[in-house]
Amino acid sequence: MAKQKILVVDDDNNLVQALRVRLVANDFDIVSAGDGYAATVTAQKERPDLIILDLGLPAGDGYLVMERLHLHPKLQSVPVIVLSARDPETSQQRALMAGAFAYFQKPADNDELLQAIRVGLEPNAKTASA
Amino acid sequence: MNATQPHVLLVEDNPGDADLVRLRLVEGHSQAKIHCVNRLSDALAALSQEEPVLILLDLNLPDSRGADTFRKVMSHSPNIPIVVLSGQDDEALAINAVHHGVQDYLVKGGFSGQQLERSIRYAVERQALLAALEVTRKEQIEFKNRLLSHVSHELRTPLTCIHQYVSLMADGLSGPTTPEQDEHLKIALQGVSQLQAMIRDLLEATRAESGTMRVDPRCFDLANLVQQAVVMMKPAAQKKSIGLGAGIDAGLPLTFADPDRVLEVLINLIDNAIKFTPAEGSVLVNARMVETDPGTVYVSVSDTGCGISSEARPLIFERLYQQPGASDSSVRMGLGLGLFISKELIRLQNGKIWVATEPGMGSTFSFTLPAYSLATLLTPVITQDERLRNGIVMLRIELRSSVTLPHSKRKDIARQCLETLQRCVYIDKDLVLPPMNTTGPVETFFVVASTDMERSAIMIARIRGQLERIPGLSAPGVLTIAAAPLDLDADSSQAGGAGSAADDAASPSPAVPLEQQVQAVAARITTMVVQKLNDKPRCANNPNYAPNQKSRE
Repeated sequence: MAKQKILVVDDDNNLVQALRVRLVANDFDIVSAGDGYAATVTAQKERPDLIILDLGLPAGDGYLVMERLHLHPKLQSVPVIVLSARDPETSQQRALMAGAFAYFQKPADNDELLQAIRVGLEPNAKTASA
Repeated sequence: MNATQPHVLLVEDNPGDADLVRLRLVEGHSQAKIHCVNRLSDALAALSQEEPVLILLDLNLPDSRGADTFRKVMSHSPNIPIVVLSGQDDEALAINAVHHGVQDYLVKGGFSGQQLERSIRYAVERQALLAALEVTRKEQIEFKNRLLSHVSHELRTPLTCIHQYVSLMADGLSGPTTPEQDEHLKIALQGVSQLQAMIRDLLEATRAESGTMRVDPRCFDLANLVQQAVVMMKPAAQKKSIGLGAGIDAGLPLTFADPDRVLEVLINLIDNAIKFTPAEGSVLVNARMVETDPGTVYVSVSDTGCGISSEARPLIFERLYQQPGASDSSVRMGLGLGLFISKELIRLQNGKIWVATEPGMGSTFSFTLPAYSLATLLTPVITQDERLRNGIVMLRIELRSSVTLPHSKRKDIARQCLETLQRCVYIDKDLVLPPMNTTGPVETFFVVASTDMERSAIMIARIRGQLERIPGLSAPGVLTIAAAPLDLDADSSQAGGAGSAADDAASPSPAVPLEQQVQAVAARITTMVVQKLNDKPRCANNPNYAPNQKSRE
């Protein structure tokens, strides 16, 4: 069975690498992007099954990325988990309304993050950006 | 106003003294223009019209004497400097005025023109300095808050890095680890956890201070939340062999507060209790009602720990207070912000928090929260009112909620109100209640009440027919029709009864809280209906009631 592909978008390369190790150990394929522009390009090229997205990115922040995903017919339904240092009290609602189905503040509990990933990848999960 | 000619308000009722001031001003080559009034009321009126650069104030006026005078002027115009003109016997009063914010005083008959001019000039300069200092102070506080928010945000990035890589190792994802390495990594992760808690506290405390903390109150089950908190804190308690338990009153009513925030406070209090209690001690969480305060839920966390000294007690809810003497000195205390944050959180949810403590005996931290009271949150409002015939009224009543209740909850409450209203209907009243389903934020009832039994049966059939034709309206049927005419005198006493029952039931009793509350709402509706029935008819009979033609909300 083909492994599911996760796109990790964050300009903090250390975090991307750490997530890569952890997610590969959990049997996922990983691709990554370090800025808003690369995120959209990579998403179009790689067609991930799920995206983990930081908000504070160069060349187009996380919200812009979600907007672009939403406009793309094949990418609209890809579930997005936001993983950001920003305070959920100010950002969570906006992120959820922009299409994310979950919001985690860094540093996130790894087990909870994995659980959210599994939920997002369930078939018919109601996680697509509206 | 001419910028080079400052205008001074002279408040002096003695014409001789006033003239002397004018003379001195000229002698001192002051540029000031004088506007003189001789009563406090005139002074306040003049201040409202045009602001002088300074007020020369005699304290003893026809309509105000002594300290009262300068207090009233200062509270009216707090930013205009005042120089008091005092009589020779009044120096003490004048000095007192200076202590309270007056810039200077001059003894009448004892000052030269030069002194007057200098006094005016210095007073104006000092006031300007004070105003500038205040602006700077506010800017500094704002900067501090912004800085703290920024810092707590930035700290997360390196913290995340440490967390990620240490947990990679701890989870065996960087290769096999020895048991000793596992132990060390676990300790490192504890440090990360503590840092995380500190950053979160820092941000919260900054929010509390800048007034941007938000709570989102709703109706929830406090008993469940207390159990949840105990389950979460059990591991920490077990590490020190501390017994952690909960005692919850049976029939505790629902609470109206923000459950996430209440959980935060509970965790903070339990965490403190565990920290300050030696091994083999105990911590107990209690949730109960108090007879003398029925609209409030009381929660307390008691420990058998070291207690708090009387010097420390007034300080513990302040920021940065760190209690010495934790029984486990290797445990870091955090930033000392937890109780400050908890105090703010409770205050924002309309509760109080306090401590009862005895050094060496232990402490009990208690806080209160409002109980959920339907009768205060749901208001029946008559939005339509038709006198159909003599003795028959038709009312449209909406149950308006002052908070957002979930749709299912609203329907539930509406159904319960309806059932209760049926029970509230006495045998000699005639209430017909076709409830109307709405998609709006209210639940609506139609109530047809009648004293005319013969006519009402026909009336009700007609109304029902018309209501059934309204699109989107589902009328599940008419309720009981009474068999005897309404006895209005009996009704007013029943209305009175219903009224007082409503008052009692408005505060939830521990026994059957929700049902009694629904009764309270239903009783209010009944009272309103009965009152309408007793009203004298205001308009002509309208037998051809046609709801479609009436304006809707």
